[in-house]
Amino acid sequence: MIASKTWREIRWIALAYLLILELLCIPVLLWWPDLYPELQRSTLLRNLNLGEFARRIGQGITSDDQDIAYSSWVALMLFLRSGNLVGIAAAVLLGTGVFARERENQTFEFLLSRPVSRGRILWHKVWPAALCVVVPLFLVNASAMYWSHVIGERLSPREMFLATTHASAFALAFLLLTTWVSVLLRVQAHVAAVVGAFAVLQLGLYLTQRIRPYTLFRLVDFDWYGPILAGNTRAWQMFDPIHGPGYTTWLLAGCVLCYGLAWRALNRAEP
Amino acid sequence: MTDAIISVSGLAKSFGDRAALRDVSLTVPRGELLGLVGPNGAGKSTLLRTLIGLVRRTRGRVDVMGHDPATQSLAIRHRACYLPGETGVYHQMTGQQFLDFALGFYPRHWQELRARLQAAFELPLQRKVRTYSAGMKQKLAIMATLIPDVELYLLDEPDRALDASMRFFLRDVLLVCKNAGKTIVLSSHHLSEVETLADRLVFLLDGAFVPPERLAAARASLRRRPRVRLRAGASLPPGARELLREPDGTLVVSTDGDPMQWLRSVPDGVVESAEVGIPRLEDLYAVLLHDTAPGGSA
Repeated sequence: MIASKTWREIRWIALAYLLILELLCIPVLLWWPDLYPELQRSTLLRNLNLGEFARRIGQGITSDDQDIAYSSWVALMLFLRSGNLVGIAAAVLLGTGVFARERENQTFEFLLSRPVSRGRILWHKVWPAALCVVVPLFLVNASAMYWSHVIGERLSPREMFLATTHASAFALAFLLLTTWVSVLLRVQAHVAAVVGAFAVLQLGLYLTQRIRPYTLFRLVDFDWYGPILAGNTRAWQMFDPIHGPGYTTWLLAGCVLCYGLAWRALNRAEP
Repeated sequence: MTDAIISVSGLAKSFGDRAALRDVSLTVPRGELLGLVGPNGAGKSTLLRTLIGLVRRTRGRVDVMGHDPATQSLAIRHRACYLPGETGVYHQMTGQQFLDFALGFYPRHWQELRARLQAAFELPLQRKVRTYSAGMKQKLAIMATLIPDVELYLLDEPDRALDASMRFFLRDVLLVCKNAGKTIVLSSHHLSEVETLADRLVFLLDGAFVPPERLAAARASLRRRPRVRLRAGASLPPGARELLREPDGTLVVSTDGDPMQWLRSVPDGVVESAEVGIPRLEDLYAVLLHDTAPGGSA
């Protein structure tokens, strides 16, 4: 019941997120390397009406010309990185409302007084949101295999699956971080501000050369996705922090930590 | 059966430095309708929230249907229904969706009461809750609370935002619940209505129950304070002192002896109207609060 209520609340955000991801994926795969110079000349944005957009997608799909696309896996890395940012935005958007919206709407007390444990409330609120964050990533990356096939490139499902799993873990960590903050704070805008500020700070630090290795965005860098997409990373290596970086494990540990903190905060919460 | 469904002793709850409840002790027998009265901030909502397990007590012992709300609140919530003081309804749902959601947590529903409430409230259940007025939202919340067939109902100001006719209807509904053997703890600002409905009335003031003898003394004191409205140009006759002048010109006066005797001694054409022996909640607050102030007399 709580899960279906959560789904009803977030389904349109999830759909918008899926569309944005797909719209990011198509131009990155099909228009690279023309995308960047066109953006510089502003002609892309100027010509970005729906008809033109559809025409260019159609042109990209039907053309076998290698010049239209860049090497797919490089392009895809770019997508995965941008996907991370969109994923964070979606995670924050979906996560802020998990509990702060209940408080804003004065339904928090109503919900907590129903005959259902707080642990179940948290779980039934988190899993639909988690699916809304993760499923679009897998769907869009699956579609990326189709688009790349159209332009004569070939993306391996195995590598795509591993890279998407990692990207999902990153987005999930942000969702659960946001959920935790959403339990602690009473206003959605405050939750978004706190998590958004944290993400921007991390991004700023990532852009600073000497601090870069110590930021969260290091976990989703080119040199992590590159070997995965090139087929040089085995699945177990993604999860092995002893013999390698094992970044995926760290992200999943972050997810577990944030979920635990959210559970603890909810159990202590008083309306 | 007269076994206690709620047993509270020495209950205290603090929010930081502020004490919301201080040494509260209470026993509610099964089947009783207990009225909980007190001014805003007296601790009524905190007491109800403690009973249902939404807030943890700082000190004391609480037992609700054999369970401690601090550690076994889920067991209590399976057998009790709570109406929060702030109307909590989901605005994005239709009235019907909200009812289905709220009632879906409880296995047994009181269908007869449901039909009665639906007929009286006449809510447009197919419309989104966000289009409802405050009173309609409160009616929806009342339905979501009373329809589940449970043993205990904790109602925090259920008559809020309801007009007079609906308040009377609610009183009848609560009597039906009481006659069906349900236990009800009801907080309200409407003293006279709670008084006619409740088996027992307890008065919370500044986080503590007012002892019955002190409440009786306050009411006796109020009985000596008639509210009078003088005709234009008339002055207060001897034998009474003005305590308070209300914005509409009504005077609250203190008489030296029996107020009825004083009223009878007042010459014709001086007093336009008078009220004696009808204690208003705010007057009772004023007397009790005055009592607690330093130097105040009981």
